[in-house]
Amino acid sequence: MTLFTIVVRGLIRRPVRTSLTLVGISIGIAAVVALVGISRGFSKSWENGMKARGTDVVVSNMGSSLTPKPFDASVCDRIAHLPNVAATCPILVDLMSVETAQMMMVSAREWGGFSWDNLKVIAGRMPHDAREQAVVLGSTAAEMLKKKVGDPIQIDTAELTVVGIVDGHAWVENSAVILSLPVFQEITGNQGKINIIDVRATPPASSQEVEALCQQIDKLVPEGRAMPAAEHIGNSQAYRVVQAMSWGTSLLAVLVGVLGVMNTMLMTVFERTQEICVLLALGWRRGRIVRMVLWESALLGLLGGVAGVLLGAVGVKILGETPAIRGLLEPDVSPSLLATSVAIAVGVGVISGLYPAWRSSRLAPSRALQG
Amino acid sequence: MAVKATPSGSIFEAAGLEKKFDDGQVQALRGVTFRIQPGEFVAITGQSGCGKTTLLQMLGALDSPTAGTLLYRGKSIPDLPDPSAYRAREIGFIFQAFHLLPTFTALENVQIPMFEGDLPIPERKNRAISLLKSVGLEHRLHHLPAKLSGGERQRVAIARSLANRPSVLLADEPTGNLDSENAGLTLELLGRLHREQNMTLVLVTHDTGIARSAVRTIHMKDGRIVSDGEPAVTAS
Repeated sequence: MTLFTIVVRGLIRRPVRTSLTLVGISIGIAAVVALVGISRGFSKSWENGMKARGTDVVVSNMGSSLTPKPFDASVCDRIAHLPNVAATCPILVDLMSVETAQMMMVSAREWGGFSWDNLKVIAGRMPHDAREQAVVLGSTAAEMLKKKVGDPIQIDTAELTVVGIVDGHAWVENSAVILSLPVFQEITGNQGKINIIDVRATPPASSQEVEALCQQIDKLVPEGRAMPAAEHIGNSQAYRVVQAMSWGTSLLAVLVGVLGVMNTMLMTVFERTQEICVLLALGWRRGRIVRMVLWESALLGLLGGVAGVLLGAVGVKILGETPAIRGLLEPDVSPSLLATSVAIAVGVGVISGLYPAWRSSRLAPSRALQG
Repeated sequence: MAVKATPSGSIFEAAGLEKKFDDGQVQALRGVTFRIQPGEFVAITGQSGCGKTTLLQMLGALDSPTAGTLLYRGKSIPDLPDPSAYRAREIGFIFQAFHLLPTFTALENVQIPMFEGDLPIPERKNRAISLLKSVGLEHRLHHLPAKLSGGERQRVAIARSLANRPSVLLADEPTGNLDSENAGLTLELLGRLHREQNMTLVLVTHDTGIARSAVRTIHMKDGRIVSDGEPAVTAS
């Protein structure tokens, strides 16, 4: 028999209370996994989309919105003349309701630009030219909208035709409606406007060279801000707000977990006052009593953390399939997030156990002889 | 269980012990003086509130006197640098209410004090089995306290008190929660331990009949020793 045996028995002697405490912690941890996983997934999906398009630098003005603000398309020409720029592709992107999908990414690209190159046609074809009233759908988007080649599709007030289904090698690409830039500019009344410029640097471009190119573009284009593709979304104010809200909500849920564990451990110490005094009378050091209480609360945290991680992972999966956000988010439930969440749970357990442990260590062993 | 001799020859030596509670409004001990020799079986008797349990707590380093000296083998008990180690290695406690841990079997309960002993983990179980055999409970090793009779629980508690091979057993009303038959068996067991292992045994009881099983009786009243079976020591 070891101290661990005593710790485990301490928890299972009150199965209902232990279970309820575990539920409390696991909900908090599930919130961490779900909310942080979703916000990270959003960033990762965007980054993967950029990688799939072969974009090194993104020029945009994200401001505080989730989609960038439009600016004049002529900016693109100024960037194209910079020495280390191999290619540019002006884009107009928006998040909008498309038929049955409440929110979908519509990405309009300059016809012939390199941002079309990553799209592999699965069915149908690409638009014939820049003016054809046609779209191609990413494979997930086609599935969500239940569209096949030849079907009509309503984009804002215009009716276009689905001419192809494509695989864009990234979640955001596959979840998007893709069309030629002038067609979308006309539909949305944004003639001559774009809100993103994909820039491909002259290869091979090191990260330092990409950074230097960003600085050059920033000097040249005050309308937008150039960022390395990987950092683009993470630096947007809206994404930061979303991320802060994710962590804030998660930590609030975790705080509830802390109070739950602390309450349980205090109850445990109060209930076991006589028992702890007997242990002290039998020669147990106060340090061992403290360790026993802390191990119990840490074990509660660990078990709650594991349950919470499972709950969060399953929850995120279910959430990702709900019609409102299906295709928009690719939750990033990475092993590092799961490990961090479990570590937070154990930390919650230990912190929650500190006060009860201190209380237990203050008990007088002489109480063992009273009653 | 070797019992060392001290310069005075006593294992416990108390002089002018005082204990006050509630800012001096309650005085539990008033100038208590006595000596206990190694291997003695001493019963401390008296009515409820006479101070006998307070005295037992001080012998076990569970509480400190307000005044006076209390020595264990010549060392001041209140000034022990590590009272836990003293309780774990030198003292075995037996309580009136047994105080076994309810979610642990008899075998596990006996191992509880061994956490502070020097026995390696694999050997603890063997010693616990051996101790439970010595109190006649080899057939109850894996029973929870709730499944044991009162007499059996007290025997488990006695086995637990011997876990770290202490020099002294301190028993607080050990038969208080037992019927007469089990009380007799428990006293017989304690007497056997005293005889066979030459163990110092200090037993607190309000029952003078039970106290007769001891070799020496210290009788207390209102915090004072009013009679002592050992003629050399005078009650204050």
